[in-house]
Amino acid sequence: MFQPRMLAAVVLGLGAACATERPADTSVIIPVGGLGSSPVPTLYQNRLANFLQADLMFLRLADLPASLETVGDDGTPRLAASWERRDPVTLVFHLDPRAQWHDGTPVTARDVVFAFDRARDPNLTPELAPLLSTMTDIVAEDEATVVVRFDRPYAEQFYNATFHVQPLPAHLLEHLHPDSVATSDFLQAPVGNGPYRWGEFVAGQHLVLEANPSFYLGAPEVDRVMFLRGGDYDARLNLLLSGEANTLRNVSIQDVERIEADPGLRVLTTESYTVAYLLFNQFDPHDLERPHPILSDVRVRQALIHALDRKTMLEAVFGASASVPPGPVSRLHWIRDTTDSGAPYDPGRARELLRQAGWTFSDDGWIRNGEPLALTLNYPVSSRPRSHFAQLIQEQWRQIGVRLELNGMDGPTWSQRRRARDFDLDFSSAGMDPSPAGIQQSWSCAGIGGSNVAHYCNPLVDSLLAAATFAAGETRPQWQAVLEMIERDAPAAFIYSPPTIFGVHRRFGNVEFPPYSYWSAIWRWTVTDSR
Amino acid sequence: MTRWLLGRTVQAGGTFLVAVVLMFFVMRLSPGDPLAEVAGERQISAAEYQHLQERFGLSEPVGAQFRSFVAGVARGDLGMSIQFAPSSVTSLIAARLPATLLLGGTVLFINFTVGIVLGVWQAVHRGHALDRWLSFLTLAAYALPSFWLGLVLAWLFGIHWDLLPTGRMTSPALMADTAWGTRVLDIARHLILPAATLSIVTIAATIRYQRTAMIEALSQDYVRVAAAKGLSRRQVVWRHAWRNALFPVLTLFGLWLPLFVTGSVFVEDVFAWPGLGSLTAHAITGRDYPLIMGTAILVSASVVFGTWLSDVVHMILDPRLRHT
Repeated sequence: MFQPRMLAAVVLGLGAACATERPADTSVIIPVGGLGSSPVPTLYQNRLANFLQADLMFLRLADLPASLETVGDDGTPRLAASWERRDPVTLVFHLDPRAQWHDGTPVTARDVVFAFDRARDPNLTPELAPLLSTMTDIVAEDEATVVVRFDRPYAEQFYNATFHVQPLPAHLLEHLHPDSVATSDFLQAPVGNGPYRWGEFVAGQHLVLEANPSFYLGAPEVDRVMFLRGGDYDARLNLLLSGEANTLRNVSIQDVERIEADPGLRVLTTESYTVAYLLFNQFDPHDLERPHPILSDVRVRQALIHALDRKTMLEAVFGASASVPPGPVSRLHWIRDTTDSGAPYDPGRARELLRQAGWTFSDDGWIRNGEPLALTLNYPVSSRPRSHFAQLIQEQWRQIGVRLELNGMDGPTWSQRRRARDFDLDFSSAGMDPSPAGIQQSWSCAGIGGSNVAHYCNPLVDSLLAAATFAAGETRPQWQAVLEMIERDAPAAFIYSPPTIFGVHRRFGNVEFPPYSYWSAIWRWTVTDSR
Repeated sequence: MTRWLLGRTVQAGGTFLVAVVLMFFVMRLSPGDPLAEVAGERQISAAEYQHLQERFGLSEPVGAQFRSFVAGVARGDLGMSIQFAPSSVTSLIAARLPATLLLGGTVLFINFTVGIVLGVWQAVHRGHALDRWLSFLTLAAYALPSFWLGLVLAWLFGIHWDLLPTGRMTSPALMADTAWGTRVLDIARHLILPAATLSIVTIAATIRYQRTAMIEALSQDYVRVAAAKGLSRRQVVWRHAWRNALFPVLTLFGLWLPLFVTGSVFVEDVFAWPGLGSLTAHAITGRDYPLIMGTAILVSASVVFGTWLSDVVHMILDPRLRHT
């Protein structure tokens, strides 16, 4: 027979046993929405999780300098102990003789050349090859010296030679056909050279990385890093609050207070390289050969931007920690001009521009040739900030008489309509590299077909971009010229660059989250308290 | 009987095939970009997008994709997941199935033990104050959204009282060499909240079905005869009335059998339970076609098998059906 008392006793007993349990003290347990399934350089498939997790196992030749600037030859030594410039188009890297693969084999120049050869092959890594197109030659001069030659002198040579590609163990991979690396046994247990080595991976569930005790830059104090696929956001937050996880990325601003109220946790915030923007379709979505009946007019686009009070919206959604991006780059990018955050909020100017564009204001709003100024905004409902912003934008435009219909949809449908250019306005978000050169992907004629879904194309912007990308010496003025020209064209309203908020257990010290690779500094964390 | 069984089995097989084929084409014809999650995370070039399309066979016409799918199924190969590439669909399902079977099995066990006992008790004590209270409480629980109840229980027992884990199937602190006894206890602790959440919101149906069937059975002549013969109350209730009041509940069991295999989307997500329910949900929201088809095969098979089993058990237990 059913015995309620017995069941209650079991439940309470199990509960009491659990109450005493906590994760191992020197582990970092990170609940994530998505796990990397191939965290191996040149096999990332554009997944952010792969990048972030690979950075714990595979070192670069050098990391970005503290200033995060991508021009010049400054960097933090990693696999390369030092480097020198032989001439304006040649960089020479000297590998650290202490660097070893996790199987004990020394890291050699051959490993560097092997990885670059893979990365420069557009058939193997179409995402990397264009970024390395200025490299003409990468050769191993001897076991510990790598020479990189470029086709022209420009300011980001060092960045391009160090940031995009991490060396791979040639002794384990070069006998394989290049196409088969992605399906080889190597992927079941990758051998890296960084502070953490492969522990255990269960697809869609967890990835465990173990500390590399013989890491030549210093053995990590955190001896285990575990990425858990942790259900939805609320489940991940619960794992942090209940003490089963130690740190959480992308904490919602609404939950900051809850985390700060827990004496065992603290909140850290860093700026991000992400930029969210309202993309204006300048072509008619019903006939892409024709200009958009409303948005092809630059004055209308500029008016719509002037009608947005972006600072107020930012404070409503993110609090004080977010920033209005200065164009298609984040405020974290070194080319930013901190005094300028794009077109100011000026509803009077917005109305004036609409009148100049031939629109007349009536009781029904703005009218031209009998047609109202009515637009539709597509956005993914899975993004809480964008859903929130969409309503605020609708309200702000309503105040100057512009009608906006909100069209929230699930991610795949939104993405499909975006790629098909089936929208008036599209609420997009782009995660960028630390280099402003990423602007080319979304805002140059060459990016059409890829990230430049609106087919925005201004040859003048392209030439300014080329000048800025390939200039030697001080390039900030050239980049400012690019931003100014894009602002004048108004292909989009750049709405926000969100902060990345972390909740982290207080027992960890020296905690930092580099914005270009959030988890890559865990090996330098200290464990200050056992509980 | 044999002929009926054969016919019913052929019908079930046909239903299964139609469901799977329909699912294949409906998913492909419905809006949504299966590469959205991959393409959306970072900036992407046209060449890279095309490379991804080719890698996952998405650049081929739908007919060719269907032929590849059928050929793969014939070989026992359900293809590579888009979201979890390079993991195969088969390995993902195999990794998630044990967690789902455990959660679903526990919930079904609770439903069809506690639910039946309470349903019978309520029928026997019909009109009693506790009967009315139980009816009210179970219906109220039935009306609760499972994700809301899950969040409340996780907050109460996991965070506020710090008694039970709030998520996952095992503690992250568990090492590979942990003794099996500790591991079993750990899994049991993690199971409590998701199993309780699902049981609370689903047990009402079992109780109501059982109560109604039992009330009807208790009013039958053969039950009065059994009581008049001087049998104990327990014998009358359980041996005579209950056995005949079991059929509606068996039907319900057959209909709920898919839960055993497919899991619950909301509860698995709220508790980060690594089962098939959340995997299926992510496959659908991400338009991961190969993974959707893998789970669709499993879901269709379990639904068809559940109804088939229910019919067969009815046929075996009910002599009236056997003779018609």
